[in-house]
Amino acid sequence: METIISVLVDATLITLVLALAAFGLAIIYGLVGVINMGHGAMLTLGAYFTWATTTAGVPFILAVVLAALGVAIVGLLLEHIIIRHFYDKPFDTLLLTWAFFLIMTEVIKIVFGTDFRNVSNPLPGAIDFGTIKIPAYKGAIAIFSLLLIGATAFVFYKTNLGIKIRALIQNREAASLLGLNISRTYKFVFCIGSGIAGLAGGLISPMLSVDPYIGNVFLIRSFFVVIVGGVGQLFGGTLIGSFFIGGAETIFALFSKQVFAQSIVFLLAIVILRYRPAGILKKS
Amino acid sequence: MTEHSEKQWIESAAAKPRNIFSEEIVAVIIFIIIALLPIFITGYPIYILPQYMLFGVLAMSLALLWGFVGILSFGQAAFFAVGAYTMGLAMQTNFGVNSGYIGILISPLVGGALAAITGYFLFNAGVKATYFVLVTLALSIMIEQIAVSQSDITGGWNGMYIDRMPLTFGSLGEISLYNDIPVYYAILPVVIAMYAFVRWFATSRFGKILIGIRENEDRMTALGFNISAYKTGAFALSGAIACLAGALYGAHANFVAPSLGGVLFSTEVVVWVAIAGRSSLLAALLGGIIVASLSNYLSTVTPDYWQLVLGIIFILVIVFLKGGVAGAISDLSKHLQSKVKQ
Repeated sequence: METIISVLVDATLITLVLALAAFGLAIIYGLVGVINMGHGAMLTLGAYFTWATTTAGVPFILAVVLAALGVAIVGLLLEHIIIRHFYDKPFDTLLLTWAFFLIMTEVIKIVFGTDFRNVSNPLPGAIDFGTIKIPAYKGAIAIFSLLLIGATAFVFYKTNLGIKIRALIQNREAASLLGLNISRTYKFVFCIGSGIAGLAGGLISPMLSVDPYIGNVFLIRSFFVVIVGGVGQLFGGTLIGSFFIGGAETIFALFSKQVFAQSIVFLLAIVILRYRPAGILKKS
Repeated sequence: MTEHSEKQWIESAAAKPRNIFSEEIVAVIIFIIIALLPIFITGYPIYILPQYMLFGVLAMSLALLWGFVGILSFGQAAFFAVGAYTMGLAMQTNFGVNSGYIGILISPLVGGALAAITGYFLFNAGVKATYFVLVTLALSIMIEQIAVSQSDITGGWNGMYIDRMPLTFGSLGEISLYNDIPVYYAILPVVIAMYAFVRWFATSRFGKILIGIRENEDRMTALGFNISAYKTGAFALSGAIACLAGALYGAHANFVAPSLGGVLFSTEVVVWVAIAGRSSLLAALLGGIIVASLSNYLSTVTPDYWQLVLGIIFILVIVFLKGGVAGAISDLSKHLQSKVKQ
């Protein structure tokens, strides 16, 4: 019984952390249709910004906010200089964002070096529930992840801005005829998606050692989260996809090595992608 | 398809015979130069060049897929690494025959089968081209992770030592390949043969149908072609070639580590092919050789900045020069020809 509870708790924590990591990607892919291969680099960049600012003495929360802003600005530049000219060519944006990933990774190496960096955990210790213990920081991140997704859902469904964005996804031409500024809205969405990726990178950084490639594994996991959950299903889809990927990883890791478990999960995700290309919930 | 690109396609199809002719002449000249190189140069370049030629073959296997079928694989290096590991495992066996030959025989089968299974599974469901990129990227990560985690077989992070095979001729004796010159002249003919084979394949009926699929999938479906079977066939061939090249690479380098199959190397191949020109097999082959040599040289001089420059060139090619260097040369020569005619 205890193991079952602890596995469930583990799976929930991993699900929510993964949802946080994938959310920026889900926003950019789901709303403006860009397969952002640079997502991993944005996560990494967020982690490094957080490392750099906390090392300089900035309090952790402020450091994460700065990291999110920094990555949002990088995303804005990327969109403005390159991506905006290629919105109607998804395959080109895929290659271009991959080039962004390659360049960003090298820039990170040049600026920050290739050594492992550690961001000290702002909430060390664990909360004791008798039978199980939850690491305090991971728990806090899980709750924050839920809040962030909930708040974004609120903006999306209940505010003027959300209505505009939804109108744009439903019918681009009609929305523009009604006077909506398409290019500005796209820019805004890309910028927000990048910023959330940076935020996620910053928040995840205390949980692992930061190196120039930490975003790599998250990149493909995030993609599978989005595809399994269903592209455009921003909120429920991200959570369901994360639950599937994170949960399956937790369960398989009980029986085999962590890295091998991940390979099995990727394989499962490919099978799902094959039979449910529109996500696990939709038939096609 | 727009009317414009259809017109372009017909024009390029009409101009084909002459292009094939010229590319083959260029290929012959280049292979002769490569064959004569050891007379003028000795030492490290001659030692390392066979490895770069095999990188070139890897790039060519991607160009076959990307340029001719229009599907992009972000996991081509996974096949290369699988080939090297297959060779390594084969060299550990002893069936009374030359283990290297077993490796050379089995590796394309393994690569072809792996690609055929993946390809059939995905193409049969009509998975989008962008999702194919993601799946092959995942394949690359999986191969790397399996190589790391199954350390009993693969040696894990430490990699695997691969003995260099000799060339044996049954009772006629054998040639040791431990020196640079013999192995150079053992690998070069294989590279030429693989180029010639892929070149022949691309101009065969099968290859023409692939180009048809690239240009207009719906029309080819309407004409009764089984699209997924052709795509699967192309991917299987591409995987088999990459795997065979990997097997030879492993034998030459005497070593394989998980990172050979990883994402970074896989996508480096994509960058080579994009820069060299995806629709020319020879360009991809040369692009692999040249960019890999440059990478190796410049990585020792300025490792980070070189990768940075490569990334920037990659962006510029995608934005301004779709056909890569080969496309630019061919456009230029067409332009000059039309000038001459006027």
